[in-house]
Amino acid sequence: MNQPFDKLLDARGLNCPMPLVNARKEIGKLETGQVLKVMASDRGSVADFQGWAKIAKNMELVGQETEAVDGANVYVHYVKRTA
Amino acid sequence: MEKVSEAVWTTGDLLERLERRMRFFVLDVRNRHEFERFRLEGREPLPAVNVPYFEMLELGGKDEMVDSVVAYVEQHLADQLPHDLPILSVCAKGDTSEYVAEGLRRLGYACANLEGGMKAWGAHYATRAVIESPDLAVYQVSRPARGCLSYVVASEGKAVVIDPLRHLHPYLNLARSKGLTIEKVIDTHGHADHISGGPALASETGASYHLHPYDAIHPMDVLPATIPYEPIRDGQTFPVGQHELEAQHIPGHTLGLVAFRLDDRYLFTGDSIFIRSIARPDLGGKAETWAPLHGRSLRKLLGLPGGITVLPGHFSSLNEANEIGIFAASLDDLKQRNDGLLVLQRESEEGFARYLLESLPKFIPAYVDIKRVNAGLMAPSEDDASTLELGKNVCALSQAYKPSGGETR
Repeated sequence: MNQPFDKLLDARGLNCPMPLVNARKEIGKLETGQVLKVMASDRGSVADFQGWAKIAKNMELVGQETEAVDGANVYVHYVKRTA
Repeated sequence: MEKVSEAVWTTGDLLERLERRMRFFVLDVRNRHEFERFRLEGREPLPAVNVPYFEMLELGGKDEMVDSVVAYVEQHLADQLPHDLPILSVCAKGDTSEYVAEGLRRLGYACANLEGGMKAWGAHYATRAVIESPDLAVYQVSRPARGCLSYVVASEGKAVVIDPLRHLHPYLNLARSKGLTIEKVIDTHGHADHISGGPALASETGASYHLHPYDAIHPMDVLPATIPYEPIRDGQTFPVGQHELEAQHIPGHTLGLVAFRLDDRYLFTGDSIFIRSIARPDLGGKAETWAPLHGRSLRKLLGLPGGITVLPGHFSSLNEANEIGIFAASLDDLKQRNDGLLVLQRESEEGFARYLLESLPKFIPAYVDIKRVNAGLMAPSEDDASTLELGKNVCALSQAYKPSGGETR
């Protein structure tokens, strides 16, 4: 995926719920329309970011992908601030 | 209120409370899909509510998780949470639920965290002695969350393991603590609902591994297994000290299903007769042709001495256990109360096959892959293995799966 982003949050190695908690804080610091790229090592983050996007008021999940980095899966989420 | 104020429950604490029918309330903070697929179940329906943690975070609206939990519960959940029962906070791995438990305690609730979450609960094992004497011991090793049962039969320091489950530590620990040498490892059939620990346990201990050759062919792929095994014959005997296990080929749930009879005392039925129900005939994708076979095999088992104790391969509810947590009953007893055996005893061959086909629960797609893993045709990572095995087995007819509590919001 060639999704442009404005800020990177590396949440690899963090256990649930911290990738999502930290992403939510970072979104708050972005301008409307900007995109945050979140890298997480917890596979559960894929479904959780989707569920969060369904109810969140000021963000949209614009993409998700799985990358293999150094033999380990990294779950990447692109989150856009919408309001 | 019972003594349950501890802030952390291990999976062992949880099992004890479920078995003793202690009352508590479950707050499950995983996403809805995970909750619907695999939830805590007890001997009795457990009161439960599912609120995904990201809803608490977003709707609670604070920066930190615990603060959001407090705000969310005060605004949206207080009317649903009991003050007179302990609350168990549950998530996938036990980290997020810890924040939730902390938030609830701040509000004055008696809330504990399930250590390791549903992942740990799914991998919890319990070992119980069915009989333990110098001459003969039979241990039932269960994985309670999945409803899977396996057995260690021992005499004179020698042991045979029947249907070992994926994690080997319960069998290795038991052998070590009782001074047993595991000589043989047997699978009653090619399992669909869980990954067998058989080949790995055999290779770890130097024991031989035995499987009926019909189950060494994947029924959908029609490909031969790549795992090494010794073929089991109908009527073959396996000595265990002074005793003997005799193979009885009973095709139906799979083509190569084998029950084992230990003298006239115990019958290891694999996936044929369970306590509440009987096995489904469709997991090989050939329900119409296998259903009549299944009926004939079950009738053969009904001809065994009525006092023999049935030790099954699965249960559907903790409620099927006896008062000391063992899943066992005499054949005579089961003839009086097992849903499937009651129908078998009153129906014709055709009528029984029809009953089987009308009682099939939903097919689980992951079961095709699990059979591949057990035949050595696929080798999943630990994460993938854990995902394949998620949730309770669905190896029995549908009558065995009554809903047992828990509401989504």
